[in-house]
Amino acid sequence: MSRIFSRPDFIAGARDMTPPLLGLLPFGLVCGVAAQSAGASILEALGMSALIFSGAAQILATQLIAADAPVAVTVLTCFVVGLRFLMYSAAMAPHLRGLPPRWRNAISFLLTDQVFAAGIRRFRETGDLRNGASYFLGSGVLLWTTWQASCLVGYWAGNVIPTAWSLDFVVPLCFLALLVPALEDRSTRVAAFAAGVAVVALDALPMRLSLICAGVVGIAAGMIAETRRRTR
Amino acid sequence: MSSPSAWWTVILVVGALNYLSRLSFIAVFARVEMSPPVARALRFVPAAMLTAIVVPAVVFVAPATLVFSYTNPKLVAALIAALVAWRTKSATATMAAGMVALWIVQWLLHAAA
Repeated sequence: MSRIFSRPDFIAGARDMTPPLLGLLPFGLVCGVAAQSAGASILEALGMSALIFSGAAQILATQLIAADAPVAVTVLTCFVVGLRFLMYSAAMAPHLRGLPPRWRNAISFLLTDQVFAAGIRRFRETGDLRNGASYFLGSGVLLWTTWQASCLVGYWAGNVIPTAWSLDFVVPLCFLALLVPALEDRSTRVAAFAAGVAVVALDALPMRLSLICAGVVGIAAGMIAETRRRTR
Repeated sequence: MSSPSAWWTVILVVGALNYLSRLSFIAVFARVEMSPPVARALRFVPAAMLTAIVVPAVVFVAPATLVFSYTNPKLVAALIAALVAWRTKSATATMAAGMVALWIVQWLLHAAA
């Protein structure tokens, strides 16, 4: 463990994750409120935030359970929403090859949208395994802990933030703050544009399949743009 | 209210599926060499997926109700926030600018109505 762990990079990861986390707090509150109003016990609410550990899946699961949907439907819907983790996993994989299995297993558990976006940027910038893995662990541990806390506060206290403040909008804003630096060249901008058009066009698909389909469309568009640029 | 067994079944199964999805390719490509086209495709994952998450939250004012005009405060605020993100590269500044812009546009639309 100590062969890989680098304390300064762990702290840097946690520090850099703090601003995006502020954006996630209202999301966690909403998840806690949803679990409470759907009739989950405190342990069930905590089980969801700790083990499912995905806001979108937690919201969908509470809604479907509260609506008495068949368990299989709930599981399938949450799985489809989690398909993006397959892509994140694949994108992280080349950077994590040299890690001991224990590290890989631990880091995988912490793989979320925010930690992925910040972590992969760090790996690309430094190209250093110890640095990147410790940074990833630092941001992931802080995000997981904060997520549990914000879900619990939502469960106990209800939505402590008045809805008139529209603070839920801070959730897409924190994703936007991660997205903009990822638009590093023409091809990535084409990928983003295509994904944006596709996600709106495919909105009517069931089980939020629009999300993963738009991701695939965006990746394909980015690859085509890159190929055309090279051959020209 | 729903049964406790439904909660724990969903928590454990979805929790396991989510973990396996997160681990999947990290475990596979630790052993298998990644083919160059796959490696090329993966470069676009952050841009494509983050856009697919952000855009619906901005352009839909209600389920299945698209609004592409200045009367959608979220759209105006997101454009301003994107500009701030691009210029400052700061998540704090981006979120602050986006929220302030949202409140101002909401207030202006309210005052004009």
